[in-house]
Amino acid sequence: MNTNKQKNADHHDRLFDTALREVVGQETPPNLSKNILAAAGEKSQPVASLGILSMEKKVMTVQQQTRRKRNFYIGAALAASLLVAAGLIFPRGLKQATQEVAHSKALTPAVKTEITQDTKPEKPAGTTVELPEFEVISVTTTVEVPGGGTVLLSGMKRLRGARDESAESDEKGMTSDKLMMTVTPHIIIEEGEEERLSISGEATAKPAPPANTPGLQPGQMGLQGLINDAYAALPATSSPKQQSPAQTDKETLSFSMGFGRDPKSKRDTWGYGGGVIGKIAVDERNFVWRGKTEDLDRRVNQNASGNKPLTLGSKWAENGTEIPYIKRRFRNLGEQGQGPDASGDQYTRIHENPFLAAAGEQAVSTFSIDVDTASYSNVRQFLMQSGQLPPPDAVRIEELINYFDYDYTAPTDDTPFAAHVEVASCPWQAEHRLVRVGIKGHEIANEKRPQSNLVFLIDVSGSMNQQNKLPLLVEGLKMLTCQLGENDRVAIIVYASSEGLALPSTRGDQQSVILAALEKLRAGGSTAGGAGIQLAYKIAQENFIEGGVNRVILATDGDFNVGTTSTADLERLAESNAQETGVFLTVLGFGRGNLNDAMMEAISGKGNGNYHYVDNRAEARKVLVEEIAGTLVTIAKDVKIQIEFNPAQVAAYRLIGYENRMLKTQDFNDDKKDAGEIGAGHTVTAIYEVVPAGVAVETPKVDPLKYQLRAEAAAPLAAAKPASDADASDELFTLKLRYKQPDGDRSTKLEFPITDNGQPFAEASDDFKFASAVASFGMLLRHSEHSGNASYDAVLEIAEDGSGKDLHGYRAEFLQLVRQAKVLAGE
Amino acid sequence: MSTVIEPTEVVLEAYNLANLIDRHQADVWRYLRYLGAESTDADDLTQETFLALSRSQFEQRTPAETAAYLRTVARNQLLMLRRKQGRQIDTVELAAAEQVWATTVDPTGMDAILTALTDCLKTVDGRAREAIDLFYRDGLSRKAMAAAMNIKPEGVKTLLRRTRDILRNCIQRKTKREV
Repeated sequence: MNTNKQKNADHHDRLFDTALREVVGQETPPNLSKNILAAAGEKSQPVASLGILSMEKKVMTVQQQTRRKRNFYIGAALAASLLVAAGLIFPRGLKQATQEVAHSKALTPAVKTEITQDTKPEKPAGTTVELPEFEVISVTTTVEVPGGGTVLLSGMKRLRGARDESAESDEKGMTSDKLMMTVTPHIIIEEGEEERLSISGEATAKPAPPANTPGLQPGQMGLQGLINDAYAALPATSSPKQQSPAQTDKETLSFSMGFGRDPKSKRDTWGYGGGVIGKIAVDERNFVWRGKTEDLDRRVNQNASGNKPLTLGSKWAENGTEIPYIKRRFRNLGEQGQGPDASGDQYTRIHENPFLAAAGEQAVSTFSIDVDTASYSNVRQFLMQSGQLPPPDAVRIEELINYFDYDYTAPTDDTPFAAHVEVASCPWQAEHRLVRVGIKGHEIANEKRPQSNLVFLIDVSGSMNQQNKLPLLVEGLKMLTCQLGENDRVAIIVYASSEGLALPSTRGDQQSVILAALEKLRAGGSTAGGAGIQLAYKIAQENFIEGGVNRVILATDGDFNVGTTSTADLERLAESNAQETGVFLTVLGFGRGNLNDAMMEAISGKGNGNYHYVDNRAEARKVLVEEIAGTLVTIAKDVKIQIEFNPAQVAAYRLIGYENRMLKTQDFNDDKKDAGEIGAGHTVTAIYEVVPAGVAVETPKVDPLKYQLRAEAAAPLAAAKPASDADASDELFTLKLRYKQPDGDRSTKLEFPITDNGQPFAEASDDFKFASAVASFGMLLRHSEHSGNASYDAVLEIAEDGSGKDLHGYRAEFLQLVRQAKVLAGE
Repeated sequence: MSTVIEPTEVVLEAYNLANLIDRHQADVWRYLRYLGAESTDADDLTQETFLALSRSQFEQRTPAETAAYLRTVARNQLLMLRRKQGRQIDTVELAAAEQVWATTVDPTGMDAILTALTDCLKTVDGRAREAIDLFYRDGLSRKAMAAAMNIKPEGVKTLLRRTRDILRNCIQRKTKREV
C-alpha cells in the first residue's frame, strides 16, 4: 500500500515537473495543427489495392465506404494509374530519359527503364470537395530475370533541393518539384532454389553491388540490383517459374507512383506506388507522410514483407548521395495497434517455466487448471489475418493445447470429471519423456442444461466500432440467443461513457425481443467498463436462479478508459462480485489494436470464469453454439492439480505453459485459494516434459537449508522418513486433483499413482501426438529455450500423424496455421 | 428491482478536426511528456494520436470524454513505440500515471494548473526562485547548481523539494485540486 502511495507521489511529482518545465523552462507544446491536418488529409485517401497478395478479403467499414465515396475522384485517378502500372493501359507520353543498364552479375537483372511523368490536375466538375492535384509517375522497366527469380519494385520520389532551411512556410518549401526516382528491383530466390540455381546461401544473403549508385542526378533513374533472400517469406504469389538456371526471363515491369498535392499549400499530401511483373503483383502500400516541415522527402515502399523498419526522411546531397537525417518509424505490415484507434494490444509478460529438480519440496508441482482458449484464436488472428507472427507474450501454450477437444472418456460415476494420463517419449528431446495429464468434465446435452440466468454485458464504446468487434459480437450473441429456451433468462447491459440496462431480464424464448435489443446496439463514446461490470452483477443477482447457471458474459476489447480501469482494481471487482453473488463470468474478447488481453484473462480468472477470443464467425459458433454447455455450465470450480514426482524415476521436470496459473504447494490443500473452473464436457490438458533419473539436466541450484536438519533432529517424530518405499517404487509420480462443486465451499481430493511403461512416441495415441505438436508449436512461437529439435516441419509431420478424427476441421486449420507460421518465420 | 434505462442514443456529432486539435493538442503533448516521452517523440506521438482519431469513427461528446479518449490513444501509441524500441514498459505504472492525471488535471486541460503555477511563482523569490530557475529554465544538474549557488548538492535537493512543496500548496489552494 505504501509502495502505491509512493508511486502515486512520484506521478504527482512528474506532473508537477511537467508544469514547471513549461512555465519556467519554456518547454511549450509545439503547434502541430498544420502537420496533423495535412497528414490527416493524406490518410483519408483511399487505398487502391491490387489485392493479389491479400490473404483475406478485406471488409470495408461504413466509415471507409464514406471516405471512399468522398474521395471517389482521387480513387478513380489512382486506379487509372494502377491500371497503367498493371500494363493494361499503355503509359501516356514519355518525357523522361531511357536508361539501360547491364549487370555483370549473373543473377542481377538487366534493366531497361522508361519513365513517364504526367502531371495534371484532376478537378472533376460538380464536386464541392477541393481535390488535391494529382500527379502520376509511371515507369516501365524491362528486366531480365534469371530462372526462378521474381522482382519487386520500390520507388521513391524526391523533391530535391528546393527546401529553404530557414523557411517554415510550406509554400516556400515545396515550390520545386524536380523529381528523382529510384527503382530498385529485388530478386527473390525461393527457398530450396539456391542449389538449382548454383548459388550458395551466403551469396544470396549479400547484396550485389549497386549498378548505378554514384552520381545520381535529378531527373535520372537510379537502378540497382539486389540479390536478397530475405523476402523468401513472401506469400505464395511469388512462386518461381519452372525454368532451368541457365534461362533468363525478360519481363516488362510497370511501376507507378501517384502523389496528391494540396492546391493551396502546394504540399504533397500522400503518395502511392505499385508494381507488377507478369501475373505477379508486389504488395502496394499506401504510404502517408505525417511529417514535420523538415521531412520533405517521402518514400513509397514496396517491401511486401513489411518486416523492416525504414528510415524516412533524408537529404539529397549535391553529389547525389542520400543522407538520412531523421529516422521515422514505419509501421510494419500487420503490426498490432493498427486500426481506428491505432493503439496497442496489451499482454502480460510470460516467464517460461524452467526445469526443476525433482528433489525436496521442488519435487511437487501445483497449478490451477485453465480452460481458456483465447490465446489460440488470437494467435490464429495474428497469423492468418494480420500476416505476422504473434508476439511471444500473446502465446499461452496451455490455451493453444486446450483449444482442441481430446478423446478422453467422460466420467461414469458422480465425479464431475475423469483424469487420464499418458506417458511417451518427447518428440523434440529424445532422451526426455512427455507426460500428458488430461481431464474430461462430464457432458451435459444442451437440452438438459440447467436454467440459465445470463447477463450480456456489452461494450458499445467507440473503440468497438469496427467490423470485427461490435457487429461480430452481436452476431455471436444472436447465435447464443438462438440456443436459449423458456428456462433461460437474458438481460443486456451496455456500457460506453456510462452503463445502462438495454434489456431487462427476459425469458429466453422471447427471441424476437432479445434479438431486437441486440440489433439496436451502436458503438460510440468512452469505456466505463468497471461501472458496467458492477451493474451486470447487480442484475444477475436480482434474477439469481438457485441451482442454475448464473453468469455475466462480458464482450469487449477490454479498452476500459473511464472509471475503474486498472487491471488490479478490475480483478478485485470481479473477484469480490463472484464471491458475494455466486455469479460466474465469461469474457469474450474482440478485435485487434487495443485488445487488453492481460486484463481480460485476469478478470475472467478471478471472476470464476473463462476467456475466449472471438476473431471470426466460426469461433463465435464454436464458443457460443457448439460448446455452449461448457461455456455456460460450470461442473466444478477451484480445480487444482498437484503432481509429486518420484526422484527415483525423475531427475527434473518442466510444466509446459500454465505460467500464470502456478500455485504454491500449500495452496493445493487451501480451500481459500482460488483456481480454475471446468465446464461441462470441457477437456483440460497439461503436458510435463520429464527428464528421467540418470539423464543430465541443468536446473536452478538452491543452497542447502542450514537449519532444517537441526530442526528435524530436534523433533524426530515430526520429520518424515527420508526414503520411503514410494521413493524406491516404479511409480513415476502421483497425480492429485482437488475440486469443489460449483456451489460448494469444501474441496474433494482425488489421487492417482502413475507409472511409466516406456511407451515410444510412435506408439502414443493420436491425441497425445497432436497435443505434443501443439505444445512444440507454441514453444516455437514463444522462441522457447526448451524447444530442442522442434521445427515447424516436425510440428506439421507430428500433427498430421495425430490429426485423427477431426469432426469440425479444427486440427486441419491448425496445420494451416503452422504452415503460415513457417512461411512468416522464414523457415 | 432494477430500473430500465434505455441505452443512450448515439448521436453522430460531426466534429471539426482542426478545432479538436487546437483544443487538445497541447495537453496530449504534455501528457506524453508526463508519461516519459522525449519531446521529439512527444511531437510524433501527438501527431499519431490525432491521426488515429481522424481514422476512427470518433464521436465527440464532452470535452472530458474526448480528452480521456485521446489520452488512451496517446498512451497506447507510447506503448507501441516503446515496444518497437525494445524497451520495457510497465503497463501497471502507466495505468497508475493515468489515474493520477485523470484525478489531478481538470477535464478541460492543464491550463488551470499552469495559470496557478505562474501566479504562485510570483510569490517565490530569493534562493528558492534561483533554484527553480537554474533547474527548470537553465537545465543545470544539482551538482552544477550547488557550485553556482555555493551550497552542497544535498542542500540543492532540499531547497528544490521545499520550493516545490510551497508551489504545490499554493496551486492546490488556487485550483482546489491536489497536484
